[in-house]
Order: sequence, then C-alpha cells, then structure tokens
Amino acid sequence: MLFWGAMALLAALLFGQRVGQQWSATHPGQTLDIDRVILVYGLLPRAAVALLAGAALGLSGLLLQRILRNPLAEPSTLGISAGAQLALALATLYAPALVEHSSAGVAFAGGTAAVALILALTWRRGLEPVSVVLAGMMVALTANAAGAALILANGDYLFSLFIWGGGSLVQQGWDSAIAIGWRLAIGFCAAIVLLRPLAILGLDDVSARGLGLSLNASRFLLIALAVWLATTVVAEVGIIGFVGLAAPVLATLSGARSLKQKLIAAPLIGAVLLWLTDGLVQLVAGEGGERVPTGAATALLGGPLLLWLLPRLRLFEWPSLQESRSAPRRAAHPWRRIALLGLLGILASVVALSLGQGLDGWSFASGDLLADLVAWRLPRVVVAAACGGMLAAAGVVIQRVTSNPLASPEVLGIGAGAGAGLAAVLLLAGIAGLGWQLAGSSLGALLALIVILAIGARGNLGPERLLFAGIAMNALCSAILAAVISLGNAQSYRLLGWLTGSTIQATGLEASIAVIGLVVITVPLLLAARWLEILSFGPSTALALGLPVRPVRNTLILIAALASALASQFVGPLSFVGLIAPHLARMIGLDRARAQLAGAIILGTLLMVISDWLSRMIVFPYQLPVGLFASLLGGVYLTFLLGRGVHRHG
Amino acid sequence: MSFKPSSYGRPAQGSADRTLRRLDRRAFLGIAASAFLPALVSAGPQRLAIIDWGVLETALAIGAVPLAATELRQFARIAVEPAVPASVVDLGLRGSPNYELLRSVAPDLILISGFYEYQLPSLERIGPVLTLPIYEAGKSPYPLALSSMLALGERVGLSGEAEHYVADTAAELQQLRTALRSFASRPAFLISLGDARHFRAFGADSMPGDMLTRLGIANAWRDDTSYSAAAPVGIEALARVPEASIIVIGPLPAEVSRGLPDNALWNALPAVREGRVAVLEPVNHFGGLPSARRFARLLAEAVAAKAAHD
Repeated sequence: MLFWGAMALLAALLFGQRVGQQWSATHPGQTLDIDRVILVYGLLPRAAVALLAGAALGLSGLLLQRILRNPLAEPSTLGISAGAQLALALATLYAPALVEHSSAGVAFAGGTAAVALILALTWRRGLEPVSVVLAGMMVALTANAAGAALILANGDYLFSLFIWGGGSLVQQGWDSAIAIGWRLAIGFCAAIVLLRPLAILGLDDVSARGLGLSLNASRFLLIALAVWLATTVVAEVGIIGFVGLAAPVLATLSGARSLKQKLIAAPLIGAVLLWLTDGLVQLVAGEGGERVPTGAATALLGGPLLLWLLPRLRLFEWPSLQESRSAPRRAAHPWRRIALLGLLGILASVVALSLGQGLDGWSFASGDLLADLVAWRLPRVVVAAACGGMLAAAGVVIQRVTSNPLASPEVLGIGAGAGAGLAAVLLLAGIAGLGWQLAGSSLGALLALIVILAIGARGNLGPERLLFAGIAMNALCSAILAAVISLGNAQSYRLLGWLTGSTIQATGLEASIAVIGLVVITVPLLLAARWLEILSFGPSTALALGLPVRPVRNTLILIAALASALASQFVGPLSFVGLIAPHLARMIGLDRARAQLAGAIILGTLLMVISDWLSRMIVFPYQLPVGLFASLLGGVYLTFLLGRGVHRHG
Repeated sequence: MSFKPSSYGRPAQGSADRTLRRLDRRAFLGIAASAFLPALVSAGPQRLAIIDWGVLETALAIGAVPLAATELRQFARIAVEPAVPASVVDLGLRGSPNYELLRSVAPDLILISGFYEYQLPSLERIGPVLTLPIYEAGKSPYPLALSSMLALGERVGLSGEAEHYVADTAAELQQLRTALRSFASRPAFLISLGDARHFRAFGADSMPGDMLTRLGIANAWRDDTSYSAAAPVGIEALARVPEASIIVIGPLPAEVSRGLPDNALWNALPAVREGRVAVLEPVNHFGGLPSARRFARLLAEAVAAKAAHD
C-alpha cells in the first residue's frame, strides 16, 4: 500500500510539474488563450486517459487471468491487442468507411476474432495456460507480421501505424477519456455484479459445476467484457502492453487477498502504473516530440518485471506437457525416409528455380533463360533453404535440451533477441555492415537465450515456465523493436524489413555465408547427436550415463543461439520453422536424435523453399517477405498441433 | 554507405554517336511546333527503368517514358502527376523491386536516387545504373532536383526538353511567388497529418519546405526534418508559433477527416480559428521538380480559392 501511495505521489508530482509549467504560461486575461487550451484539452485529458486506460487494462487483465486461470493472460499476451490493431489497419486500407463509422467496433471485432481463435484452438485442451498463451503469442506475432507487411507494402501512407503501434497517449480533447471512461464504469459494475461467478471461476471446473453455475455462459460474458475494455484502449490510444499483466499480479503481491480487494486494487495499480510511465515519457520527451511512445515504454518496464516475477508466480495445477507428448511410431528404416525427404527437397528446389511468372505470365524456364533466371533465384532460394535448415537444427537442439516439445528459437524469444541486438547496432552505428549486424544479432540472441535459461535454472522451472519466460523475452524485445521502429527513420525501415524477413536483396555472398553457417552448425550437431539423445532423458540419467551435462548443454545452447541469430538475420524472427520442422520430423517417425535432426533440417529447408516461392508468386510482381509466409504456414501447423491433444486429454 | 554514388556503370555507346543523335533531335524539334512537343518525344532514345518516384516524375516530365517503374498504383494515388502511360511495366515495391521482371524488361539504363543505393549490387547486374541525387542530408532539394533533371536530359538525349522544363519551372515559380505575396506576410507550418493527433513537419531540407521558402514564405518549423526521419509530433506543437498559417499536404487518412473537426486543440489553434489553414491535394513527399511545381501550384490555387471565398 505504502509503495503504491509513493508511486502515485511520484506520478502526481510529475504531472503537477507539467501542469504548473503550463499554468504559468497561460494568460489569465485573454479569452482565447492557446496555452490554456493546451492545459485543458492536452495535459489534463492525457492524465485522465493514462489513469482510465491503465485502470481498464488492469481490470481486463484481472478478468482474463481469473477466467482462464492463467496468471499470464492479458490483452497483449492473448493477441487481443494485436488482433484489434490488425483489424484497424486492414479496415483503414480496405474499408475506410468502417473505421470512420466506428473504430472501436472494428477493434472489438479484431480482438474478438483473435480471442475466439485462441479459445477454439485450446478448448479441447481445457484452456490449459501454456497452450493458451502460446496460441496467443502465435496470433499476436502473425498479426504483427501482417501489419508490418502492410506498412511496407503501402510505403508512407500508413505512417500513423508507427505512432499507434507504440501506443501514444497524446490527447487533444476529452473524447478518448470519455470513451474509455464510460466503458470502464460499465465494465466495473458488470464485474461487481458477476463477482460471485467470477470467484467460482477461480476454482476448477468440477467444483464450479458442483455449485450449479452455468460455467460457459459466465465465462464468455466476462471474456467479452475484458476484450471490450482492452480493444477500446487499442482503438483510442493504441497497444499498451503489460499493464494488464502486471496490475493484477502486483495487486496480489501487494497483499490483495480476496477477489473484491483485487477488483479494486488491480485497476488502481494499473492506473498508477500507466500514469507514472507516461509522466516519465513526457519528462524525457524533447521539443521535437516524444522519442518513445508510452505503450512501448510500458513494455520496456514490464518485460523485466515479468521475468523477475516468473520464479515467484504460483501457477495453477495443470497436467504437465510431458504427458500429452505424443509418441509416434518409429520408422523401421529412418534413413530411407530421410533420403525420400531429400529427394522431395531437391524436387521442390528445382521447381522453385524454374517455375515462375514473367512479362508473359507463367512459364517453366529452361536453357539460357533458366541459366539467366537462376542467377537471380538461386541466392534467394539458397538463403531461404539454409536458414530453414539452421532454424530446424536449432529447434531440435532446444526442444531436446529443454525436454520441451513446444520450445523453439521463435517461441523462446531468441529471434526477437537477435532483433534487439540488431536494433542496438543500427542505433549505435547508423549504417553498419553485414558483419557488425551479424555480431549484434548473435550477441542479442545469445543474451536472450542465456537470460531465459538462467531463469529456467532457478527453482526447478518446468517446461511451462520456460515457455512463459520465452514469451516475456519476446514481449520485451518486441517492445525495444517497436520503440526503435516508431522513430520512423532509415534504421526503422531496416528493422521493419528484418521483422518481416526478406530475402529479396540476397546475393551470392549472403548465400555462401548462409550455406557455410548451415554446414558449420549442422555437421557437428549430427556428429554429436548421441548427446542430444542422452540429454533428452533428463540431466540425472545423462549424468549417470557419464555425460558431462553442463558443458555439453552449454555448447549445444551456444550452437543453437548462433544458428538462430544467423538465420534470423536473413529471414527474420517469425518463421516458426524451428518449431514445426522438428515436430514434422517426429511425426513421420524420425524419433532418434540423429534421424530427427537430419529429417528436420531437410524439412526446414523444404518449408522455406516453398515459402520463398509463394512469397514471390502470390502477388506478382509485388514480392512479399518470405518470413511472413513461413510464419503463416507455421501458424496453420501450430493450430493443428494445439488441436491435436484431443485424444490424450479427452 | 560503402558504395560510391557511382553513376555510369558502363560507358555509353560513344559520345560522338550520342552528340550526333542529340543534334538530330534538336534539329527535328526545331522544326516541330513546340505545342506538340510532349506527344512527339514520347520515348527517349534509351530503354529506361526507374526505381525512384522522384526520378520517375523527372523523366516523365521531359518525355523520357521508361519501360518499367515501381509501385505505379500507389504513384497514381500519391504523386498523381505526371500521368504514367499504361505501357509502363509495374516492377513492384520501391524497396523490393522484382529483379527478375526488371531483367526481362532488359533496360539499358536504370535510374535510382541515393535512397536506393543499397540496391546497387543487384541492379548493376542487370544494367548500368545512374544515381540522380535529389535528397542529400543538409542540402536544399530544389537545386539538386534541378541539376538531376539536367543530368538526366543530357544522359538520355533530351537536354533541350530538360532545359525547357527547368526554365518553365523557374518562370512559374516567379509568377506564383508574386501571386502569393499577400500570403507570405506570415510564416507557415507545412505538415502532413498521420492521425488526428500527430503530424509530420516538412523542414527546409524537404522539397515542399524548400519550395515554401522559394515562394517567399517563412517556414514556421525551424528544425531540420532530415530526409525521411520525421518523428511524429503532437498537434499542440503547432501552437508554438501562433501567428503562423498551416498548410496540410494530403492525403488525409479517413480517421483524420473524421476526427479533426472535433479536435478541441486543433480548433483552438489560432490558425484554425482565424481560417488560416489550407489543405492541399496529395503531393509526393520525396518528389522531383514536377512535384515541386505541383506543390507550388496547389498552394497558390488554395490561397486564391480562399481569397475568392472571403
């Protein structure tokens, strides 16, 4: 309590200082005094919006966490904000009348679609937290990738997205404050009315049903309420991450025990958090405008907070992921299948190199024309394929080392870490060469992975928490990226391009770097496959079998981080190939480490070659980034994967 | 940037040959009535492909119609003029043109601006590349656009047209400057609106900003806006120079046209209260001379329309 009082006081002081500054500038005599207008229509509503939006997000987060019994549920981890934002961007481009009519309606539709998709995906798994948050992250990342592609495809036209993606609290009237305010009031009253069902929803399904509650109706009503609150904030000021996550957790940590206490405390803490962040943002803002939008700043503060909280969080009891892990039939002749896959890969590459569109429509190139076109297509195809292979290898390593079937470079935030490293290098050096960019992204990836594993090593973290840590890392790095991208300069275009993953500028040099990387990384891994085999039995078994677990683990992790950094340098962080290729390999019966590794690498290259071809052909002559396509393919597969737990859980 | 702003990847077919051809064309043009000029010289002597929009405008303005150029759908919406003939092949996005398509177009000269120099390694594999600088950090774009047009005219054998256009531009500018004399008594903000709450200012290093000064109007935005790095600014910043007028360059996003009339702060700005706001049709923010002229003309028209209205 005392702490929050102090925080509120600090925020109020910052606000008071701004108001005082503005007040002293006003001229009492004049009827139309612009400085007074700025005070009344700029500063005051801004503070109101910060307080109201913070409270709305706090309440929304509390409701979602309660209903889903998931301590990490909130508008941004569930993809609600990203879905709303994508809906708004799409509507701005293709149905401007809709946005004009009701931007809040469009945002609500987008947020609802996102949450409906996630619930549908994870329904059969009983809305198990890890699956829910993972699906949320998948939806959010894919929506962000699509949004980035829209910005790129439309050049300058959508520069409002820069601002709004970061969540700026700048106000010029009371409209936003009123729009958020009345919805918050309704939401709060509804939450009070639904207090009893809400309390019961904190229990498990069986006890809740025993109390005679129409479980699903209350659930849906409350989820709709939470989505409504969150998407209103998105429509009015943009994405503001982490307030919805942090406020309820902090409320609990500050001693709010009963649900009623939490219902009061979470919105209050959310309000103070956002107000304080916004005060700090205004403090560092110069004359030329704000350098960091408030929304990005909250994520910047919230990411570390989440990482710090993780070991302290009490997760609800859920069946462990391990149990639901499928054990597909092992192939009798794995190497035959791998050879077949290899053949398939070669076939796909040949098609990708020769089939295409030109001035006169579709054609299979041959002879001189082929030789000519191959000079253009080969570097792209090779870069995409090699990166697919590296990501797949990294995925196999990470999944085996962490004994976690849902871990991958993308999910653990290693790709995003590479992006943050790249952003740092670009910010420091302006125009950096490929070597420096690679150094920056490798360092970023490595740091991200080390931090996650360090957190994972604390207090016997299960596979669920490792994933949560990855999601926090993803969110933190994405916030850094959003902040840099919102600067709107040459570096931000480079980062946007990186985010969507484009191989368009690939040259022979990059192709050879990627191939060398693939060989250097995969050959030792294939040779050391026995380690992977042993490690996946767990550390104690591995030790008993005489494996020096720690150095082996560290070496493998280093290799995986390098592979992901190198790959994401060329195809962006969002491909999901590292997640799905190892799964696909397992599904076709490649179970032993070496066979799985080889199969996954081939499958990874295959997936990327297909993505690259699609990205070139679908809106010819306009070219979409390959990373975007790969992540769409990955999203579809992940959908399938999450829905597949049916039989085991049913 | 590690690449030199290299220009002529490969020497042209021999300068004597070129001079001869230009002389022929000059002689021919001398006979033709000047009114028919644009129609008659619809194709330059070279097969051109153009990556940059500012350069595309420049080329079209002197009658050098390229075989291919980038993002033509968006160009028609934002740059608007000059109109692009239907024969021009769309190469896809400026940032990622389709090199395969460009290769099959087989241009013998590819035109870019400094902003696309990172594509040089790829482009030079297809044909010689000429970089025409229009925007350089800390330099006024108008003189650069002017010399780029002359350089292009020289290169493609349309020097006469280029000189003519440059002279025309100077004359029109002089004329518009006179027409805008009353408007020039106050400084003006030159902005484009991103949403109903933020704008981007055009400083002296932008083409519209440079034109503003050349039209005799002081730019109320003092800071440089350094090429594309234009951080979005809250609208209240427009109150810093209360006596300034506000010129808004289109297009206006739907959200803005809806939200701005209700924006209390916007309505309280002295310029808005006193009706000193002009909203212009879209102008290419990073254009060449044609965009510069378009901006000046649109501004003069808007001011004249306002004067007639009052």
